Amino acid sequence: MGRRRRRVDPAAGALPEAIAALSRSLPSGPSPEIFRRAKFDRPEATPALWQLLFRVLAPLPLDNALASLAPEVQARLVKSALRSQGYPRLALAQLPEDGSQGSRELLLALSWLLARGPVPEQMLAQTRVPLGDEMTVCQCEALASPGPPAPQVRAEEPVDVRHVQWLMGKLRFRWRQLVSSQQEQCSLLSKIHQYTRGCHGDQSLGHLSVAEAEMLRDPEGGQVSGVGTPRNLDLAYPKGLHFSCTPGMGPRTFWKDLWLVCEQPCLLLACSLLSPLRALLRTLECENRRLEAVLAWRRTELVFWRWMDTVLDTCAPGAPAATSQGTFLPRIPEHRGGELELVAWELRALQEELQEAAERRRAAWEAEAGGCGRGPEWSAVRRASREAVETELGALRRRWEQDRDPAQPHGPRRLVRREDGAAGDRDLRAAEVIRTLRSQEVCLEAVLRQLQGQCRQELARLAGALPGLIWILPPGR
Amino acid sequence: MLPRDCSRRLVTELQGALDACAERQLQLEQSLRVCRRLLQAWEPTGTRASEPPPGPETNEEDPPPACTPSPQDLKELECLTQALEKAARVRRGITKAGETDKAPSLKSRSTVDPPGTKAFAPPRTPGRAGGHASDTRPTKGPCQTTVSAKGHSERQLLSLGNKTRVGTGAWAPRPGPGLRDQQMAPSAAPQAPKAFTLKEKGHLLQLPAAFRKVASQNASLWAQLSSMQTSDSTDAAAAKTQFLQNMQTASGKPQPRLSAEEVEAETGRLWKACSLLRLRMREELSAAPTDWMQEYRCLLTLEGLQAMVGQCLHRLQELRAAVAEQPPRPCPVGRPPRASPSCGGGVDPAWSSQLLVYSSTQELQTLAALRLRVAILDQQIHLEKVLMAELLPVVSATQLQGPPWLTLCRAAHSLLCEGGARVLTVLRDDPVD
Repeated sequence: MGRRRRRVDPAAGALPEAIAALSRSLPSGPSPEIFRRAKFDRPEATPALWQLLFRVLAPLPLDNALASLAPEVQARLVKSALRSQGYPRLALAQLPEDGSQGSRELLLALSWLLARGPVPEQMLAQTRVPLGDEMTVCQCEALASPGPPAPQVRAEEPVDVRHVQWLMGKLRFRWRQLVSSQQEQCSLLSKIHQYTRGCHGDQSLGHLSVAEAEMLRDPEGGQVSGVGTPRNLDLAYPKGLHFSCTPGMGPRTFWKDLWLVCEQPCLLLACSLLSPLRALLRTLECENRRLEAVLAWRRTELVFWRWMDTVLDTCAPGAPAATSQGTFLPRIPEHRGGELELVAWELRALQEELQEAAERRRAAWEAEAGGCGRGPEWSAVRRASREAVETELGALRRRWEQDRDPAQPHGPRRLVRREDGAAGDRDLRAAEVIRTLRSQEVCLEAVLRQLQGQCRQELARLAGALPGLIWILPPGR
Repeated sequence: MLPRDCSRRLVTELQGALDACAERQLQLEQSLRVCRRLLQAWEPTGTRASEPPPGPETNEEDPPPACTPSPQDLKELECLTQALEKAARVRRGITKAGETDKAPSLKSRSTVDPPGTKAFAPPRTPGRAGGHASDTRPTKGPCQTTVSAKGHSERQLLSLGNKTRVGTGAWAPRPGPGLRDQQMAPSAAPQAPKAFTLKEKGHLLQLPAAFRKVASQNASLWAQLSSMQTSDSTDAAAAKTQFLQNMQTASGKPQPRLSAEEVEAETGRLWKACSLLRLRMREELSAAPTDWMQEYRCLLTLEGLQAMVGQCLHRLQELRAAVAEQPPRPCPVGRPPRASPSCGGGVDPAWSSQLLVYSSTQELQTLAALRLRVAILDQQIHLEKVLMAELLPVVSATQLQGPPWLTLCRAAHSLLCEGGARVLTVLRDDPVD
């Protein structure tokens, strides 16, 4: 393994700086000393690294249940999460979970994660306290399940299909409720934006958001309607600080964000004694520090990667032992195979339809134009058509192959009301989003109808086997 | 009764959907509560518990008028005094909290922040209107915004004692003999210490300076971060790729297996492919070609689509093989997050300074409604797939012919084909004899 051309001059100082920036940018970042010890596989560095990996990999929202898991359990979760992401080294799976050894392997795992994606930025974005009224445009986390179900394993008794029908009816009712609440909220929000026009210091925003207005209304947090406690225990305030106009962001509350940022439950208690305004200022300042750390990290990370190469070199190339799965947590059985089967069914049905249609058209074409389509000029035209079709289909393929539609940007955006609807080049206009959403709606409705049609056919086939019955379909749409 | 694991899966999925909706509903309701409270009259903060809330009721206890001033004047003075009292309370509250320049610029009716003058004279009792010490406040007020247009009602309130500064929207009412000359707004008289409402005075608010500073710093740091994101240093990127490759070779495995997450992502992509291909096919089949060239293109497209479906199926076989060789992997915490079919995963940090601009309430409502509709459709489609996977095998496997099977069939039809909205009827067709 060839040595990389080493930078002579400020390499000595740049590495600690880079590591320090990295640890400042990560939540519960260990001190640079831990990193150094981990290179030499010192055992005392292990627990901190397990914790850090857990924080990075754990699914948000990081509620108390997750945070209070025992270290061994956290270690197991880390192992399992890394495996599911495809971590290549098997040595990690074999590490003891009590935190007694393996810090170098953990350091490698951390670097692997850092190399694959912008981890510090993602973590910052997840814990950002939104100051504005935000709406996510894309579909991530739309009505996502809020984490693990309350009892890990639900009632195991078989249920009647009528229970399923009842649950479905309940769900439909909840959908209707959501729609009406949503409409009301939009109108209130719009009013608030309208009435606070001209107040914001930032001219591009122009008006206050709900969070900002609430902060002005009640900076001390002393307003607790109906309750005598003078201090801020009104949960509506911190939650109101986080507004999401859509089924967008998960249930992050202000206090959770504070905890995530401040890292210590005792600080949370201390913060709860502060007025919300002070607490908010403190959170923002914390976030600013972390942002600065991330920027510093990005500037100096090259040195870190070179150092990590040396760490990898010091690792003995271990022979991959037999993979012992170890004990895993109880889980809900996954039906990954089932999902693939469904896709397979769909694709096969589609293939049949296409085959039939294409053959029919080909036969018709051959019959009609078979004779005249042989000359040289015809073949040029035909070639042109072929190329055009290929380009189109290539574009179609790209639409599902790339993970994210670049035209549809990701992430929540701050809602801003402007009478003239003027928007900068990076901003989205509501009219465009509405157009996109309408086309998505049409697409999804088509998919749903098609699935339902398939079911109808299948059920008709099954029921048709029974003679002597009349099936009266409900009045169709 | 449905078989055990089928029941479990169906109940889990439906309950998960119900929980998600309930969670969302809770968020909405909390947000609604905050918004409604903001749109009502704002009550003064501080030692609120000990003070009676201002409002119409305080007007009813009019102090007995002194001899000289007219009842009208006294009433005006009463209003004025109450306003001053409230301002004093607020002021005390502010200084008590020790926040000097964080005080919001507007508390109930009048918040005065006179430069230089610290002492705020205690409110005077009514009846001393004639011989007052000068308690004029410089009507600088907090309203240093650029908004110049003022509501009519606000001007009326200000005209209580304010001879000169009506136009600049200053706040503090000035006691003085000028009271008699001014007229009080008829609307203000009965509810004199008029509480602050966002509707009328919202445009006078101002964010505290410390907050503005931190928030603007925050915004600029995020902007720096997102610009750095887009111009990522190629050195660092190359070093990272190299490191990943080294990791791969050092681990001893020649080629990465497909991780579970990748399988899931691929499955999502295949779903997307399926729906896009199907849509395209429908477009082609419904288009009426006018000349032979278009027909030819249509034919080529259909054949091309067929080939693509074949490739997708091939990819699916590979995925199936990859899944089969992996042992069933546990999901660490609860349910695995469902990959949405229309959006890739990952949080993109480069969103911070981007806005979503709307121009009317109607537009916002349409936008939000559509967003919710798409999310609900997503959920519906997912549930439909789950129901199909679970119910259809049960229906086809059940050998019973009697009423239980018919019930099952009816229920399955309703759930699968009508989304649970309608139920069909089954009639027995007895031959007439």
